[in-house]
Amino acid sequence: MSETDHNGTPGDDGRVVAAEYVLGVLDATERHAAAQRIEYDADFAREVAFWEEKLGGLVDQVRPVTPPETAWSRIEAVISAPAVAPQRGGLWNSLPFWRIFAIGSAAVAAACIAALVFLGTGVLRDERAPLLANIRQKDSGQPGFVAAVGAGGTLVIVPASLLTADQKSMELWLIPAAPTGTTATPRSLGLIAPNQPVRITVPPQLVPLVTRDASLAVSLEEPGGSKTGAPSDQIIAVGGLTNL
Amino acid sequence: MDVVATRSQLAAALARVASGDRAALRIVYQDTSAKLFGVCLRILNDRSEAEDVLQDVYVTVWRKAASFDPARASPITWLVAIARNRAIDRLRASAVSRRAEPIETAEDVRDEAPAALDLVVAAEQQARLKTCLGELEERQSSVIRSAFLDGMTYEQLAERMKVPLGTMKSWIRRGLMKLRACLER
Repeated sequence: MSETDHNGTPGDDGRVVAAEYVLGVLDATERHAAAQRIEYDADFAREVAFWEEKLGGLVDQVRPVTPPETAWSRIEAVISAPAVAPQRGGLWNSLPFWRIFAIGSAAVAAACIAALVFLGTGVLRDERAPLLANIRQKDSGQPGFVAAVGAGGTLVIVPASLLTADQKSMELWLIPAAPTGTTATPRSLGLIAPNQPVRITVPPQLVPLVTRDASLAVSLEEPGGSKTGAPSDQIIAVGGLTNL
Repeated sequence: MDVVATRSQLAAALARVASGDRAALRIVYQDTSAKLFGVCLRILNDRSEAEDVLQDVYVTVWRKAASFDPARASPITWLVAIARNRAIDRLRASAVSRRAEPIETAEDVRDEAPAALDLVVAAEQQARLKTCLGELEERQSSVIRSAFLDGMTYEQLAERMKVPLGTMKSWIRRGLMKLRACLER
């Protein structure tokens, strides 16, 4: 963390690191360690608060810049999602969650994960950590949807960008993990909406197939969904399931 | 609007945000978004990234308003800390630094935007900080300002000032500890 000798007394070293953390000179790894230390080391947290309070005045020197009007609309959209209320504890205080939130390639997707996790209270009640998928659009690579599945089979899927389906329906597919050289058969999880979060209960027989190596895909289908039981050739977005 | 009124209004608005009041978040946003956007923009040097982070910041404020304790921090300090942390995390996460052009020095910016934050940070505290920074060597106070405002790592600061990394660390650490002693007086 620093070149200062750490002789077992958190005092001086902690003081230096707290100051360095607030000043912003630490690299990503060191910042992460310092952010964690705030959680378990009250003295360190006090030092951080001291510096934040004292150095905060330096932003005096930063010119205010009015953000574009769309900025507020985006914020309002995220916080207005149903059942999204200020909360404390649990996942909200989980560092991995915030790390993903902070470094996600698209803030829109990250915000959607946030919305999703809070919408998916059923997901959160599961004992095991939910699996997440960032379902990217095939043509652009941009986030299309973000989905979370709890171990009990509750799935929440949230659009991460403005999508239109025109006259088509969007259908969600589970593509189970398949041994190398074989092809898995996509299983329908039902229709989803291009413009709002949807909660789906995964059929019990498919729950065992919802694993870390499985993927979720979204296809465009005729209104009402696929009649054949297989997706059309218009798969518009795909993403693998990963642990949070 | 005077400082005390603004501070207490912001604190009151944050308390309402904690209870789920969206109109209160709107008030906080109106009062602080230009400053926080400026802070993010200065660190990230990229409008679109700064907009993304700004969104993160207010969504975070919405969620975590309950953890704001007016007895322990001023509202603007709390908000600035969230914005700086998000922006710096984002900056560190992007593999390639986009800084192609020289960074304005703190003094340059000060000249262009006098008293920009007069509404949020108590004047006495500002004065104290200024006095204590003034007690440091010029190069120490200058790198401390730049580090805080631009979110640069030790490595970047050393490169920019063309001094060895160890020298930069020692300037800053000694400067910070001296600053701490002064601020506590």
